[in-house]
Amino acid sequence: MVVGDPKITRLLEHPAIWRGRSAAQRVGLSTGFAALDEHLPDKGWPRTGLIEILVTRFGSGELPLLMPALAALTSAAAARWCVWVAPPLLPFAPALVSCGVVLDRIAVVDGALPRQDAGVRRGPGMWALEQTLGSGACDAVLGWVRQSKPREIRRLQLAAERGRTLGVLFRPQRAARDSSAAVLRLSLEPLVAGVRLTLLKGRSAHRGVLELSWPGS
Amino acid sequence: MRPNLIGSADSTADLPSAIAPARTDSAALHAPLRSVQRMPHTCSPNELWAGLQLSGLEPVQGLEELATRAQRFTPRVSLVPPDGLLLEVAGSLHLFGGLSGLRTELIGECRHLQIRPVLAFAPTPLAALTAARAGEEPIVSDRAQLVGLLAALPISALRWPEETRARLARAGVRTIGAALRLPRAGFARRFGVAQLATLDALTGRAREVRATHRAPLRFRRRHELECEVSDHDRLRAALEPLLAALGVFLTTHQRGVAELECRLVHRSVPATCCRLILAAPCADAQQLGALLRERLDSLQLPEPVRAFELRADQLLPQRSPRRGLWQPGEQGGEAREESEGLIDRLCARLGPGAVHGLALRAEHRPESAWLATTPPPIIASSRVAVPRANSVNGTPLAARPLWLLPDPQPLASQDGLPRRRGALRLMSEPERIETGWWDGGEVARDYYVALDRHGVRLWIFRERESPHRWFLQGLFG
Repeated sequence: MVVGDPKITRLLEHPAIWRGRSAAQRVGLSTGFAALDEHLPDKGWPRTGLIEILVTRFGSGELPLLMPALAALTSAAAARWCVWVAPPLLPFAPALVSCGVVLDRIAVVDGALPRQDAGVRRGPGMWALEQTLGSGACDAVLGWVRQSKPREIRRLQLAAERGRTLGVLFRPQRAARDSSAAVLRLSLEPLVAGVRLTLLKGRSAHRGVLELSWPGS
Repeated sequence: MRPNLIGSADSTADLPSAIAPARTDSAALHAPLRSVQRMPHTCSPNELWAGLQLSGLEPVQGLEELATRAQRFTPRVSLVPPDGLLLEVAGSLHLFGGLSGLRTELIGECRHLQIRPVLAFAPTPLAALTAARAGEEPIVSDRAQLVGLLAALPISALRWPEETRARLARAGVRTIGAALRLPRAGFARRFGVAQLATLDALTGRAREVRATHRAPLRFRRRHELECEVSDHDRLRAALEPLLAALGVFLTTHQRGVAELECRLVHRSVPATCCRLILAAPCADAQQLGALLRERLDSLQLPEPVRAFELRADQLLPQRSPRRGLWQPGEQGGEAREESEGLIDRLCARLGPGAVHGLALRAEHRPESAWLATTPPPIIASSRVAVPRANSVNGTPLAARPLWLLPDPQPLASQDGLPRRRGALRLMSEPERIETGWWDGGEVARDYYVALDRHGVRLWIFRERESPHRWFLQGLFG
């Protein structure tokens, strides 16, 4: 058997095997923005693993950036869930539908906690995120985290790989200084009808700044 | 509840029982009877049946509850819905001090449930029931006296169909005694074979098989601790034997629990109750234990625990686990079990209702245009992509924000224009939403898309009524 053997090639496509050269061969999840697809290592969002989106303030355009990908994920025939863990506000169903998201596949874990749980040592958000990422019941998990330690991010990354899930973590801009185990890190700034995007980390990704404009504006 | 039903009722006879002819001397008896030849081995000629006609009964539950309680007198308890109960008591008379003692206790049991019984004793079940239905309270333990008892009872106590009763009345037959005196072959021809079979069962000429009531299966187990425990780790360890017992119980009965209750008994204060409600019936004691431990960890104990009690009152038939060829999410593989397990874990730790789904509501007011639902399980389906609902009849819908504030947040204003950490720039034409005057939740608002100093797009509205306040209701994300 030689390296060019189709059987070996097939085996090596397993997401758990990472080879320097194979990074470009994997097919990611299209972001819906052609310019961004070109920029990203897998020609799209990775299908498995944790990505981080760092924003200066909440509502800078991080969610519209993900919407085309979520629409594609939830409307697939064998779609699993897309879970929102402890979102800071209510996800507005009519807007999601108008973006093409199938609501049947959306589940929301409430951030508000019953009083009796105040004594739990680790934050409920982190626990719920890790459970959700590692459960194997989700295609995508969106999480909002204010403070986190590098070790916790590492646990989330491992859970995402275990559950074959795309985890998206929204963190404040100041987290850019910390190290992180996420496979992809982006930083966002809002523009008038779009967003400016800086790629901070990515396996064999093109570093640089990219400006995207929203469709229809 | 599952009766171990042996036969099915004949449609014309008002008897939920199978009637098997004991003797085959009458040819007319054979053919149409849908009977079962299996006899209960306990059936003996020396039976004594207590028939109860109950009034003041709650529907079915009351009857079942009484039947369950009556099982302390005898294992052979039969329900006769809607209002009858039969007990075979010959074997247990000596335990309750004879007939009168048993009678007193049985009536006491009924009183406890606020049921007024008419109680009759007879050697055949149907005779006891019929006497009670006729309002008589005889005690006949000898088969020889049975016909004498029955003869005086009105025929209506048998609850035959109206048409049969009318025909019997036209023939001048008003009591059971008169019916018994008619020639058998002629009776079967004129009034039906089923009615003749009923008469045979009444007099004990034919044996009658009745389904025995079985109390619904439930699991209740108590574990006394050797000393009072307040440490969570030791509590968990002490829970292990109970969980193991539950696992064995569920496996042997092929059941799963949908609701599990764990009571922690204290010395002076009422027991702490820890209730686990599952998304799907579960028979895996390991998984139940993991969920219960999550709940116990977050429990504040008022006092040390003296004993545990594990209760599962609702046991559902367990469906056998299915394993797909494909991994979840791959080639249409199902993730049903994973999703149910995830809901259970999240709800066990964060409280019931911690996970919800989203649905649309046809409503113009943004705050009520969506609904929180229970998340549907993930089932692989060859669904067609839902068309995007961003246009209705060709007209595009106005922009809606991805985030909604739970309550509109008032904004400061200057010269009639809204401010939020600096002046806001209005980016769109107003969209008017004016509705709800018929249900008390009236709104009259002009919505705008606005851009704040940092470039965040907001969804704000201005009230149409004075003082024209501005509110923030959503973010475009």
